[in-house]
Amino acid sequence: MREFQALPAQPAPVDTVGPIGWMKTNLFSTPINAVVSISIFAFLVYVLPDTIDWLFFSANWVGSTQDVCSAEGAGDGACWVFVSAWMQQFIYGSYPDPELWRVNAALVALGLVIAAPYLLPKHFRNTVGVPLFLLFPFIGAAFLDGRIFGLEYVSTDFWGGFSLNIFLAAASIIIAFPLSFLWALGRRSDMPFVRSVCVILIEFFRGVPVLALFFMGSVMLPLFFPEGVTIDKLLRVWIVLILFMSGYMAEVFRGGFQAIPQGQYEAADSLGLSYWQKTLLIIFPQVIKVSMPNILATFVMLFKNTTFLLIIGIFEILNTTQTALTNSNWLEGHAAEGYIFVGLVFWCCCFGMSMISSNIEKKLDTSHRS
Amino acid sequence: MSVEQQGQPLSAEDDVIIIKELNKWYGSFHVLKDINLNVKRGEKIVICGPSGSGKSTMIRCINRLEEFQRGSLIVNGVEMIEDVKNIEAIRREVGMVFQHFNLFPHLTILENLTLGPIWVQKKPKEEAEATAMKYLERVKIPDQANKFPGQLSGGQQQRVAIARSLCMSPQIMLFDEPTSALDPEMIKEVLDVMVELADEGMTMLCVTHEMGFAKKVADRVIFMDGGEIVEQNTPHEFFDNPETDRLQLFLSQILEH
Ligand SMILES: Nc1ncnc2c1ncn2[C@@H]1O[C@H](COP(=O)(O)OP(=O)(O)OP(=O)(O)O)[C@@H](O)[C@H]1O
Ligand SMILES: [Mg+2]
Repeated sequence: MREFQALPAQPAPVDTVGPIGWMKTNLFSTPINAVVSISIFAFLVYVLPDTIDWLFFSANWVGSTQDVCSAEGAGDGACWVFVSAWMQQFIYGSYPDPELWRVNAALVALGLVIAAPYLLPKHFRNTVGVPLFLLFPFIGAAFLDGRIFGLEYVSTDFWGGFSLNIFLAAASIIIAFPLSFLWALGRRSDMPFVRSVCVILIEFFRGVPVLALFFMGSVMLPLFFPEGVTIDKLLRVWIVLILFMSGYMAEVFRGGFQAIPQGQYEAADSLGLSYWQKTLLIIFPQVIKVSMPNILATFVMLFKNTTFLLIIGIFEILNTTQTALTNSNWLEGHAAEGYIFVGLVFWCCCFGMSMISSNIEKKLDTSHRS
Repeated sequence: MSVEQQGQPLSAEDDVIIIKELNKWYGSFHVLKDINLNVKRGEKIVICGPSGSGKSTMIRCINRLEEFQRGSLIVNGVEMIEDVKNIEAIRREVGMVFQHFNLFPHLTILENLTLGPIWVQKKPKEEAEATAMKYLERVKIPDQANKFPGQLSGGQQQRVAIARSLCMSPQIMLFDEPTSALDPEMIKEVLDVMVELADEGMTMLCVTHEMGFAKKVADRVIFMDGGEIVEQNTPHEFFDNPETDRLQLFLSQILEH
């Protein structure tokens, strides 16, 4: 790559530097700007001290029952004891205590599988990394279930909490990856039948609201199976999430396909590569690369949408929180604390992901393009 | 590989490309009109003509990047028919170099060169890499093997593209304006490689307006206009005694520059 020689920096004019300069240009550049800035500032002064006091200084942090918060002399701020007392349920649902290590192990394994492309030497990426990635949802589910591995059986009724949100979102996007790529390919196909099937699938799963899809999954899907066959509720939800995600990702991939110049196809053709060789070796890696930021954005959406599952009775984190709020030992109204906690957890995860995504974008921007 | 092994008809044992009455339409637009062209093994042909005359379309028919509606085309003894096996067989024998290089940006130079041999010819990786390095030496950039295409200059990229085609040991090489996207100072380094290739006896069809190159290596220069082959001749006759008015006009236009 070319080397750039940076010019030596020059000191900026005095009144554009420092906090005063910054405020001049950003907050008080015009009279309207100044009015808006001052009103926002006044509002913050009015609200912030109480909020901060409630959140931190008068909050109750230690203890294990709500009596700590209502006791004589307790702070009148937030009751974080509620969150810490229920922490295990918020994260693991009602997964049995002695088996919790399995959830932790699965979370770590998920992290490793996702990081594998960066950790593994290039040579093993396709031969080891990709199969591991695609098999993870199945192995992970079997591991949490336990029967195949000779571990104690934990029915999906006990799975729950934030770990379930993570697993569902991850397991869905992993399977949606190849599926949506096939749909996107099909949408570009010359074969009218393949093309129309793919268009219908994509538009259906993109067009129907995800809540309606969840209801269809939990109410209608069983109708399609023969009498007596029951499909696990979580499995149905997983299928719905995969299809929903695939609809969106197929559109993301479609955009990616359009970014690939015609010359790439022609060069691959002129070398005599077959259709699948061309698609998998030349087109797929480039499509993934340009689509990566959008894929992550879609994933963030899916991840947040997993909280809708509370409506059909899946004990993901939001449902767990509501259950905790109606627990007879905690009836003094800790909704604010509970929802702030859930919000914070999601915000941290989603913010982390958008950091990663902008990082990737920057990387793509500077790397080898031709 | 000898001609007999290719199982060519005896009557045309020297002709690696036989184009008969080839016609192509884009919708109602008649791009190629009754093209007839035979190319002998080892022959070097330069094709020129005004923009939009169908030069690219014609040579792209030879490796089926474009399909045609009427006529016949036999490449290296294999008739071009609507059949994936046939098309792939022909493409293995025909290398192509594009105006915009079309290297694969996500692969290193070495990977660009070994992709075809490994996946199409099923060669072992080591052998493919050895061959690739040999051709990189020939186009004089072995030191760039592990870089990515975006890190190379245009002239270097085009030489890599030529090497990539050569790695497939093609019988025929097609060039579609290989130097017209290059800065002037890089044109020579690419033309040098092409001249060398011509000297080694490669069968070449080259669309170019580099008349110096045509005079130096071409056995025959073809002038296309309006989808037809208007005139063809040895370079000497072609440039010094153009027969048709259209060619005279064309030559006067390009020589003005
Ligand atoms: N996909 C297409 N659909 C319709 N018309 C096309 C298509 N591709 C090319 N053409 C037309 O066919 C004609 C021949 O195109 P071609 O690219 O073969 O010309 P060319 O001789 O290579 O010109 P240039 O010197 O500009 O590359 C042009 O008039 C062009 O507009
Ligand atoms: Mg052209």
